[in-house]
Amino acid sequence: MSLHPQYARPRSAAQAVALLDGLGAGAMVIAGGQELMPHVNYGRLMPAVYVDIGGLPELRGIAEADGAVAIGALTVHRDVQSSELVRAKLPLLAWAAGQVGGGWQVHNRGTIGGNLVSMHPLYDIVPPLLALGAEVEILSTAGTRRVALSGLIAETSHGLGTTTLLTRVLVRPTSPSTGWSYQKLKITEGSYGSANAAAVVALDGNRVTAARLVMGAVAERPIDASAALKGLLGRPFDARAAAEAEAACAALVVQPMDDQQGDAGWRRAMAGVVARRALAQAVARAGGAAG
Amino acid sequence: MSANLEELVEDSVLLQCRVNGKACEREIQPGTSLLDFLRDELRLTGTHMGCMTGHCGACTVMLDGQVAKSCITLAATVQRRQITTIEGLKGADGKLSPVQQAFWDEAGFQCAFCAPGMLLAATELLRDNPDPSEDDIRRAIAGNLCRCTGYQSIVRAVKAAARVQRSAG
Amino acid sequence: MSHEGEQDRYVGRSVRNLGQDAFVSGVAKYTSDFQFPDQLHMHVVRSPHAHARIRRVDLSGARKVAGVVLAMEGQEAAQLLDPVPHYIDPVGFGGKTVPIRCLAVDKVWHYGQPVAVVVAEDKRTARYAASRVQVDYEPLPAVLDAAEAVQPGAPVVVPGWADNSIMALPFANGDVAQAFERADRVVRTTVRIHRFSTQPIETRVYNAVPDPETHGLTFYGTSQNPHPLRHVLARALRIPENLIRIIAPAVGGAFGMKMHGHPEEALVCLLALRTQKPVKWVEDREECLLIGAREQVHEMELALTKDGEILGLRDRALANTGAPSACPGWGMAFLTGLTMPGPYKVQDIDVLMNIVVTNKPSWNASRGYGKEATALALELAIDQAAREMGLDPVEMRIRNFVPKDAFPYDSPTGLIYDSGDYAGAVRKAMEALGYAEWRQRREESRQALGFGASAKVAGGGVVGAAAPGAAGGAKLIGIGLAYELTPEGGAIPGTMVAGYDSSTVRVGPDGSVTLLTGVTTPGTGNPTGMAQIVADELGVEVETIRVVQGDTTTCPYGFGNYSGRSTIVGGGAAALAAREVREKILTVAAALLGVDKATVTMDRGVIRSSAAPEKTLSLPEAAYACYTRAYDIGLAITPPLEAQATFRPGLIRHSPDAKGRINPYPSYSNAAYATVCEVDLETGQVKLLKFAAAHDCGKVINPILVEGQACGAISFGIGGMLNEEIRFDANGKQLTGSFVDYVMPRALDVPAIAVAHHDSPNPVTYLGLKGAGEAGVGGSAAAVVNAVNDALLPLGVSINDLPVTAPRVWAAIQAAKDAARPAERPAAATREVA
Repeated sequence: MSLHPQYARPRSAAQAVALLDGLGAGAMVIAGGQELMPHVNYGRLMPAVYVDIGGLPELRGIAEADGAVAIGALTVHRDVQSSELVRAKLPLLAWAAGQVGGGWQVHNRGTIGGNLVSMHPLYDIVPPLLALGAEVEILSTAGTRRVALSGLIAETSHGLGTTTLLTRVLVRPTSPSTGWSYQKLKITEGSYGSANAAAVVALDGNRVTAARLVMGAVAERPIDASAALKGLLGRPFDARAAAEAEAACAALVVQPMDDQQGDAGWRRAMAGVVARRALAQAVARAGGAAG
Repeated sequence: MSANLEELVEDSVLLQCRVNGKACEREIQPGTSLLDFLRDELRLTGTHMGCMTGHCGACTVMLDGQVAKSCITLAATVQRRQITTIEGLKGADGKLSPVQQAFWDEAGFQCAFCAPGMLLAATELLRDNPDPSEDDIRRAIAGNLCRCTGYQSIVRAVKAAARVQRSAG
Repeated sequence: MSHEGEQDRYVGRSVRNLGQDAFVSGVAKYTSDFQFPDQLHMHVVRSPHAHARIRRVDLSGARKVAGVVLAMEGQEAAQLLDPVPHYIDPVGFGGKTVPIRCLAVDKVWHYGQPVAVVVAEDKRTARYAASRVQVDYEPLPAVLDAAEAVQPGAPVVVPGWADNSIMALPFANGDVAQAFERADRVVRTTVRIHRFSTQPIETRVYNAVPDPETHGLTFYGTSQNPHPLRHVLARALRIPENLIRIIAPAVGGAFGMKMHGHPEEALVCLLALRTQKPVKWVEDREECLLIGAREQVHEMELALTKDGEILGLRDRALANTGAPSACPGWGMAFLTGLTMPGPYKVQDIDVLMNIVVTNKPSWNASRGYGKEATALALELAIDQAAREMGLDPVEMRIRNFVPKDAFPYDSPTGLIYDSGDYAGAVRKAMEALGYAEWRQRREESRQALGFGASAKVAGGGVVGAAAPGAAGGAKLIGIGLAYELTPEGGAIPGTMVAGYDSSTVRVGPDGSVTLLTGVTTPGTGNPTGMAQIVADELGVEVETIRVVQGDTTTCPYGFGNYSGRSTIVGGGAAALAAREVREKILTVAAALLGVDKATVTMDRGVIRSSAAPEKTLSLPEAAYACYTRAYDIGLAITPPLEAQATFRPGLIRHSPDAKGRINPYPSYSNAAYATVCEVDLETGQVKLLKFAAAHDCGKVINPILVEGQACGAISFGIGGMLNEEIRFDANGKQLTGSFVDYVMPRALDVPAIAVAHHDSPNPVTYLGLKGAGEAGVGGSAAAVVNAVNDALLPLGVSINDLPVTAPRVWAAIQAAKDAARPAERPAAATREVA
């Protein structure tokens, strides 16, 4: 808490984490500012030191690395949407980045790293990345570790603490034969999401051979429904399968959110609806008959 | 913390950037938002405050030609960048840009508090897409709230500006 | 008039906004753009409780913060400031009143109520120091619901009041009991209107600058009513009005919210006088969202013949106006009752409006000023009746309208409607909507889901069947119509809500024209409309006219902007003043030309005589002569070239009739609103596909600006029904604190709007103006709700509990499914779903 904050602009990621380590809890990382600044403006957060990582080259860019697409933490939503590489290899992520609210202004400034680190339950990027089995690279003074995003969000502190830096997001490309979908449901255009679902489906002929599905914006944390959808495997995604999937996904929402994005009962039901719609569209994109 | 790290931590920021084409160098408080920097330090008051949470878009400016919400941008993070505010939209000849002219001619504003943000969003749209559909236009201003017009005249103004820009080649 | 034909006149044309290019180039100055040397900033400490006793306020923590100049709590403020006079004191209507203090003394009665203020050298310091103020509260039981507030034994909000009712006003006429006895059918509808607000993009901003010479001050502020505000500030500050100057610069939208009575107005003045430095306050969005409106419940009963004629109307209404305030918000509920039964000819009515205080934040005036609630209650009840009786809602309305040959018409509450053709407007709106084509598409949407051709009741439809397609679920189309009668230009006796206003027209020695007027603009375009009037009356080019508004020192005394009045009274007064100035110019011009004055005309600033066609005179030449030749050819006029006039429209009647009723309005604008929606049966999401309106605002001065007003109001109605809602937790803490939760329409939410004009001129106003700024919120809101209920018609459910957000629509659809499931029983009538 400081009325007179300080500012530091480290010249490397290593320097940034060394700074964070040395400065302690009052230091806050800033890049696009889209997440932090509303709290600062209303006095709810008063960083003692802003550690501006916006200039760090190693956090920028989108490239292929070790069979994965590596997206630097500073990559803004607009670049995720328009990157040829992401569109070709991770069309689900490219599409979902385009669904981020707030208009072009936020797409131009909001970063994938900021979106993930905020762990905001209503945001759009985490569910698709979980459906894609993404990993993240985390830098601390102890060095870089690479962890599954799913593992990270399972921890209350989201494992990052105040002295680490999320540097890159790594996602293995989806096979061109798989289908994908991101369904976002909101009350009106200006609303935050009330329920969303990201799906990745593989088919063998008409039969579902793999299905990953993650729901967001319906509970405090994203819900990975993939295990609950085992029953879809080995059969066509017909109306009965769709209804089963909808019911199974809704049932996973044990503690639905209840806020101005919708009451709990509706949110739970909508989780099922967006899940089913996402699966259906993914099946159709994978070349299945449904759709 | 090592001395060389401590040296990195400053009590104030020397912000160097270009604002509406002019070089600008100011010593600022680190916590200053870009909105407050423009309004309070540079006295460019055409950029407006509507919510301070990034929802209304009245504070929209351009950073290197791309729209951004200045209320949720920390001024210190725009080091060495080009900032365009509503005050910088006129041509070098002092004439209104086609977008500005169309907003005036087509009543694309009422109270005009949202107009600076709308104008900058429309300017970026028409630079990238000279012949936008109605849906393109409505999407391009999705980050900007208007409470007066119901958006009808704004959409009409952007269409008119697009026509003028296209016919000007 | 000097002009040969209509085409030469400015009135009636879409003249673009005056003001040069200031508004599109960022140089127009709004209140927050003013910054003065030694500027200080105020921050307000607000109550976190809905109802609590204040044990102690400790300012020491705030005072210790470097940069803090002053901190003050309620006890001290009460010593220095008198209560803020009410804009409309309920006592004038036989209601209860209470003195309003700027800072809470002893207890707080709503969440967000100002408790203390801190003034510092910059706004961040002021905010931070405010967080260091320690207040020791003893929470008290809060009453949040109006129905609970009127129960015996409910906590009393205002100490000393016997109960929580400000007043319970009857609006009754004829023999209602007999009407209900005669009726073939009685339809009951409970319409629950939620709390929603205007939220202009510019929040409130005040900046008080002390004047050491006079010991007075200049107040820059987002004010709709500078002169009446000056009166209020003078009384609260205990100084004469002539020591206060109020300047209302460009306003970034107001919609009623910037009418005064807000505690921060007097507080910045007090603090500026105490510190002898300019003190500024910029409301943040969280604070702005505290201002409520429209939360009221109507229990409507219609007595009907079998063919849908309304014989009688009962309404038991309860308005939750929140805690007492000096702002004029509470009066909205009064006008809801007074404007029943809107455009309908039923004379046997029994309306009881109970206006109640609770421990929620207060209302302020909001576009529609209660008349939007009248429209919602009436139009939802009529559609409910049409659905239950299987009648066409369009035909049912037309059958019940006041016919166009019945004007001037005496309403059962004592109003006198000036003119109108309601059925004609409905037909025009339905045509603009493309009614025939949409009916066809509605039928197709029903057929596709297995509902019969004239689906009226729930059947075995395939509601929400889990189609595997991703494109969304089954969808039903609905068409909604609603009417709104919007009395405009109101005048409330004994208050600063006046029916008249004044304008000054000034022509300088160089021929330049200035219009100064007592009406203000919140950004509606009224200066352009008034300039068009002056340009025509005077015979000059409209672009040459400068309009000055919002300054108590330079403008004639005026009441500002409210009630769609500005162009009616400001424009009417400007016309009268312009005529007077024109006579002076033509008198002197005739002498200069040596011709008979009757032969002289002025058009676009050029003076000609039919007696001497070869000679012309420019306005500057004539104007210079008027100023400089006062003792020869100018003897016939009184210099300078300036006139002030007042326009006081007729029809207003403040002396009560035999039944004790008054007519506070000169003008009754009205409009039909129609929309088409698509309801997703899986999600309850509502998408509007088309909107149309046909409105009667009397003579249209400027079509593009008038249509802009209509479209803006429609957007309010859409947003208010599909998303906007201010909510509270069980303890009265407001949950809606930002645009994350208060979600207003974006460009993609508002469909294409077709606006048709259906003007019947008002016989008692200049040019037949009726006012165009306020109308449309209720009519468009009701059209949206009626469209949603029309879409749900095949399911046999309807929603009259607002807003009709996706979760509520979905819940109604679930109720229909649950009802249809057990026995597939044929539903006799539609069920309302709360």
